[in-house]
Amino acid sequence: MPTNKLSAFIRKKEFILLVIFVLVFALMSALAPRQFLRPFNIQSMAFQLPEFGILAIAMMIVIVSGGINLSITYTATLSSIVAAVAISSMGQAGVADWKVILLGIVIALATSLAAGAINGFVVAYVGVTPMLVTLGTMTLFEGVSLNITKGGAISGFPDSFLWLGNATIIGIPVPMVIFVAIVLASWYLMGRSRFGFSVYMIGCNPRATMFSGINVKRVLMGVYLFSAVLCALSGLIMSSRYNSAKESYGSSYLLQSIAAAVLGGTDIAGGYGSLSGTILAVMILQVITSGTNIIGINPYLTNIIMGAILIFVLALNYLSSRRESRKLV
Amino acid sequence: MKLKIRKGKEAGILAVFLAISLVIALSSPVFLRIDNLFDIIKSNIVLGIMAIAMLPIILTGGIDVSVASIIAAVTVIIGNFMIGVSSNIFAVFVVGCASGAVLGLINGLLVAKLKIPPIVATLGTMSIIIGVVLYVTNGTWITGIPQNFINFGRTDLFAVSVREGEPIGLPIQFVFLFGAAVLMWFVLRHTLVGRGVYAMGGSVVSAERIGYDLDKITIFIYTFEGFLIGLAGSVHTSIMRQVDPGAFSGFELHVIAAVVLGGASVLGGYGSVFGTLLGVALFAVLNNGLILMHIPVFWQKIVVGVVLIASISVDILQKRYSESRMTRVDIEPVEG
Repeated sequence: MPTNKLSAFIRKKEFILLVIFVLVFALMSALAPRQFLRPFNIQSMAFQLPEFGILAIAMMIVIVSGGINLSITYTATLSSIVAAVAISSMGQAGVADWKVILLGIVIALATSLAAGAINGFVVAYVGVTPMLVTLGTMTLFEGVSLNITKGGAISGFPDSFLWLGNATIIGIPVPMVIFVAIVLASWYLMGRSRFGFSVYMIGCNPRATMFSGINVKRVLMGVYLFSAVLCALSGLIMSSRYNSAKESYGSSYLLQSIAAAVLGGTDIAGGYGSLSGTILAVMILQVITSGTNIIGINPYLTNIIMGAILIFVLALNYLSSRRESRKLV
Repeated sequence: MKLKIRKGKEAGILAVFLAISLVIALSSPVFLRIDNLFDIIKSNIVLGIMAIAMLPIILTGGIDVSVASIIAAVTVIIGNFMIGVSSNIFAVFVVGCASGAVLGLINGLLVAKLKIPPIVATLGTMSIIIGVVLYVTNGTWITGIPQNFINFGRTDLFAVSVREGEPIGLPIQFVFLFGAAVLMWFVLRHTLVGRGVYAMGGSVVSAERIGYDLDKITIFIYTFEGFLIGLAGSVHTSIMRQVDPGAFSGFELHVIAAVVLGGASVLGGYGSVFGTLLGVALFAVLNNGLILMHIPVFWQKIVVGVVLIASISVDILQKRYSESRMTRVDIEPVEG
């Protein structure tokens, strides 16, 4: 019955998030109706959201598998830096633009695959706790990036590379188009494929998953590779948007992406997490950031608001789950 | 049997520490000079106290990413306290430790009472605390720390004169690191709470069945952690003689890395104060050595990252190897 479905949806974590999103959006619109609802602002939010949204998905998938990936931001910047070196040097050598960009993207993806393979190998085949592995690779990738850039930023892209992060297709920013494509791909991979099902199973109980005939090591390797590829795409968008590549770009996204995943209902212990929840959480964070910025609230207050929302939602989850379990008794 | 493996783990870290020290000492004569050694100690006291503070959290299988924001808050609070209220050294330390303990208590309550997973709860409080700190200070430094506190921070113990320049000695701040280490060692080894921490890290269910009050233990360790971070914040201010609210961004991962390098398992139940101190020392010597050997600063992160991954991997592989040998021993008598 539709009413049943509706009441089930209302009790879902995603519904709380949707309500919060609507409330935050309405609040910002009410406080700054002229500026916040301007098409320009909506569009600029759509430009800013994808780079963080992609990283949040990259983080969420790893968390669902029962791990965590602290190296996402440096995987993103490392791949974009390696690609940037190639792009800017080829651009000077006079190679055709489209070839340069295509090759740059391939190089970024290859770099991220190598980075993801290191994470995946040590986590899956050596068996080290994901948090430690990625803490180590995070430092490692930062070091390699710094060695390439010598602490500066790499720039000098051909103009056509900037299309990736700054152009629009019938009013929709290109990064947003890429983001939607990634969301669809992730939705298929996590929700409709054998691989995704295995990831959820491993997050619940790796041992039982192994005994049910799934190659846990290979799936985990896949998780870290996929996460790394998403990072590379985010890194490319960032370097196109900022017209340069630097190791520190997006470093504040690391803890924010964990917050977004968890806010989106992902169980930090693994086994549960929804793409729609994570995306809603990213949208909430984006509206808060842009909104407070427009209203002219001190940006440091944004930190406080985000932290408070994170704790509030988790406390709410706990209290509602306790009520449910009491009902059962 | 278990005790032997434990000793082996710390001995392994000690061996790596000595080997690295030897390499650095051979390639740079400056390394073993007394002033360099005192410098290494002085610049790592804060990291040492923070790592010791974090240890029990990791022992229970938790983690705290808010430590950097707590120490930033503490330094700002005591900075203002010194300038506005009193520069009595004892009072400053009391205020520092108390404010740290209060912030730690909040974490403890969130984790124990609202059952929010530690990494998420502390992520939230980190965001809030650093937000408040930066909002209040607007990121500006606090200077003009009273002279008596500066003088206290400059005090050296067992001063020795070095040929060129002023006499140099063991910085007084070392006393606090030593005190924190002894205190933590005593709590973990000889008190009921400390044994509960290890029990909880081993198995939450068993610890509860034995009769440990897990909520109380959790609240205690986070409050105690906050207390020690407060101490670290006071010590930091006495070393730096000014307060930079943004000085600690990213420091939480540094602290976690040091504890882990010292052999503590993030899954909980395993780790020691001695190991943690070794982890901090390893970091300290590595960073100092790379500078002395004129290796470009960009290489340092790579070396630290590789050492971190390698040390944990070797540890896991070693454990797996010893476990496989243990089973073989078990099977043999059956066959014979």
